[in-house]
Amino acid sequence: MQALDATQAALEATSNNIANANTPGYTREIAQFSENTETNTDGQVSGGGVTLDGLQSVRDELLNLQIQQQTSLQSSADTQSSALQQIQSSFSSSSGNDIAGALSAFSTSLAQLSANPASSAVQQGVLSAGQDLANAFNSTANALTSAQSSADAQVTQTVAQINTLTSQIAQLNSQLSQTQTPANNGGTVEDQRDELVQQLSALTGISVTQSSDGETITTGNGTPLVMGGHSFTLQTTAGSDGMQQVLDSNGNNITASIQGGTLGGAIQVRDQVIPGFLTQLNTLASQFATAFNDAQKKGFDSTGKAGQDFFTVPANPADAASGITVAISNPSLIAISSDGSAGSNGNIANLSTALTNALPSGQTPAASYASLVFQVGNAASNASAESTAIGLNLQQLTDQQGSVSAVSTDEETTNLIRFQTAYEAAARIVSTIQQLSTVTLNMGTSGGY
Amino acid sequence: MRVDPNMVPNMLAAIQQSESSLSTALQQVSTGKSVNLPSDNPAAAAEMVQNTIETADVDQYTQNVSSVLSMVQTADSALSSVVTSLTQAVSLGTEGANGTSSASDQQAIATQVQGILSSVVAHANTSYQGSYLFGGTASTTTPYIVDPTSPSGYTYKGNDDVNSVQVGDKLSVQINLPGSQIFSNSSNDVLGSLSSLVTALQSGDTTAIGNATTAVSSALNYVSQQRVIYGNTESQLNCQETYLQQETVNLSSQATSLVGVDMATAATNLSQAETDNNAALAAAAKVLPNTILNYLSAPD
Repeated sequence: MQALDATQAALEATSNNIANANTPGYTREIAQFSENTETNTDGQVSGGGVTLDGLQSVRDELLNLQIQQQTSLQSSADTQSSALQQIQSSFSSSSGNDIAGALSAFSTSLAQLSANPASSAVQQGVLSAGQDLANAFNSTANALTSAQSSADAQVTQTVAQINTLTSQIAQLNSQLSQTQTPANNGGTVEDQRDELVQQLSALTGISVTQSSDGETITTGNGTPLVMGGHSFTLQTTAGSDGMQQVLDSNGNNITASIQGGTLGGAIQVRDQVIPGFLTQLNTLASQFATAFNDAQKKGFDSTGKAGQDFFTVPANPADAASGITVAISNPSLIAISSDGSAGSNGNIANLSTALTNALPSGQTPAASYASLVFQVGNAASNASAESTAIGLNLQQLTDQQGSVSAVSTDEETTNLIRFQTAYEAAARIVSTIQQLSTVTLNMGTSGGY
Repeated sequence: MRVDPNMVPNMLAAIQQSESSLSTALQQVSTGKSVNLPSDNPAAAAEMVQNTIETADVDQYTQNVSSVLSMVQTADSALSSVVTSLTQAVSLGTEGANGTSSASDQQAIATQVQGILSSVVAHANTSYQGSYLFGGTASTTTPYIVDPTSPSGYTYKGNDDVNSVQVGDKLSVQINLPGSQIFSNSSNDVLGSLSSLVTALQSGDTTAIGNATTAVSSALNYVSQQRVIYGNTESQLNCQETYLQQETVNLSSQATSLVGVDMATAATNLSQAETDNNAALAAAAKVLPNTILNYLSAPD
C-alpha cells in the first residue's frame, strides 16, 4: 500500500509538471522517496517499504539572483534605448526638417541674398529660412522634453507597479513562513514569489537576502522594500524642477540613488541624458542667436535704419532652444546693407560669418550641432549594444535556469511510463498477496487438499 | 547534464535576430544608405551634418557665380561700348582740332560728341535685372541724371561703395565699380571731358579743342584700365566655378563613403540574411515538433 501511495504521488507530481509546462515561473517538482528501515522479525530481515518525503521543487537560488541582476540591467538599458531611439529620429538627416537641414537652408538663403540683395523674394527667402531654423530648434527641443516627460510618467507608473509587487511579495512571504516545513518547500507559493521578485527586478535594481521570516528585499542602495511580511511603499512627489521624485517610506528622497530596472533607466534618461543634450542645444540656440543678432546690428536694413535683432531668445537659458523665434516679420528689416543704401550687400558677409565662425562655445554652429548628433547617436547605439550584450548573458542564464528548473515534456512522459510501470507492479503485488491470502484462508475447507 | 528543455525562447531569439538582420539589410538596399539613424554610425552622422551644409552652400555658390558672372559680363560689355565711344570721340576731337575744319564742321562734330556723351551716360545707367550696375551700392537709384547746373550737364546720384558677392566659404568677389570712380572721377572725368570737348568745339577754339581731346584720351585710357577689374572678377569667377564643380563631386563622394552603401555588399548582406533567416526557420520547424510522444504508440 505504501508503494501504491508513493507511486501515485509521483504520478500526480508528473501530471502537475506536465500541466504547468508553460506556466511562467513554474519550477518542476519531483517526488522524493526514501526507503523505510528494515524490519527484523525473528532474525528474518525484510524491507520496510517506501515513504514519500514530499515534493521537491528543483530550483537554483544563485542562478535566480544572477538573473534578477541581469534583468535589472537589461530593462534599464532597454528603457534608455527606447527613449533614445525616440529622440534620435529628430536628429536624423533623413527627417528633412532637422537643425542641420535648416542651418544649411539658412546659410544658402544668405548666399543667395548676397547675389541679389535688393530682391524682396530672396529677402523673404532668408526670413522664411530663419523661421524654419527657429522651428527646427523648437521641435528638436520639444522632442527632447517630450521624451523627458514620458520618462517622468514612466517613473510614476513604475513606482506604482513596484508598490503593488512588494505588497504581493510581502503577503507571499508571510504565507511561506507559516507553511514552510522541511517536507514541503512551499513549491507553488515560492514559485509565485520568485516570479514576482523577477518582475520586481525588471522594474528596479534590488538586492535580495534570505532571513528567518522570508526574503528581505531592498533597493540597490539599501532602501527596504520588503522585510518578511511587511512591504514598504515608495512614493512620488513633484520636485522643484517639476519632475517626479521618488521618496522612501520615511519620505527621504532616494531618486538619485536608484539604479537599474525600468525605474533606474527612466531616471537616468530623464535626469542625466536628456538634460545633457538639452543644455547643449540651448547653448547652441542662444549663442547662435546672439552672434546673428550682433551681425544684424552691424548693418542697416532696407529702409536705411540700423539693424535690429533677427532672433528672439527667451531670457531663461533653459528655454532658449524651445522658445527661439524670429523677431522680425518684414523681410526689409534684414540688415543687408553696410552703408544704409538699399542695394548694398556689405553686411551679408557679417551675417554669413555668424554661421561659419566659432561661437563662444569654441565650435561653429554646424560643428556643435554635429557633435550633438554624434552624442545622441552614440548614446543610442551604446544603449542598444548594452541591451544586446546583457540580453545574450541573460539568455545564457535563463538556459541554465531552464536546465535546472524547467519542465521537459519528454522527461515527464518518460517518468509517466516509469511510474505507471511501478504502479502496475505495486498493484500486481497487492493482487498477488490477495490471491495468496485467499489460498491460505481456503486451506482445509471444502475441496481441501 | 540536463539541458534546458524549453527551446522556444532560444528559437524565437534566433529567428528574431535573423529577421532583424534581414530588415537592416533590406533597409540598406532600399534606401541605398548605411546610416539611416545617428545610432547606425554616430561619427558618420555627425560628419554628414557638415557635409549637408557644405553641399547646399556649394550649390548656392555655384548659382551665385553664374548670376554674378552674367552681371559682370553686362557691366564689362557696357564699359567696352564706352571705350569704343570714347575712341570715336578722340578721333572726332582730333579732327575738330585740325586747322582745316571749318566752324560749321566743328559745330557738326560738337553735335556728334554730344551724342557720344548721351550714349556714354546711357551706358553708365546700365541696369541688370533691375539694379543699376554703376551706382555704387545705391543700385535702385538711376546713377546719372540730367542736371543743367552741373558743368558736365549730369549729376551722380549713386554712392562710392562697392558690393562683393560670396562665391565660396572664404571668397567674395567685387562685382561693381561705382560710377563716381569710372565716369565722373575728379582726375579722369569721362563725362566732364566729353562735355568740355563739346563746349570747345562749339567755341571753335582749336587749342581748347586740343586740350579737351587730350583729356578725353586720358579718360579713355583710364576707363580701359578700370575694365581690368571686371576682367579679373570674371576670371576669378571662372576659376571658382571650376573649383565649385570639383567640390560638389568631392562632397558627394564623401557623402557616399560616409552614409552610402556599396550595393554589391548590401545585396550580398541581404542574401546572407535571407539564408540565415531560412535556416533559423527551418531548424525551428524541424526541432520544435520533435517529442518522445511521436515515437510512443497510443495506449490501447
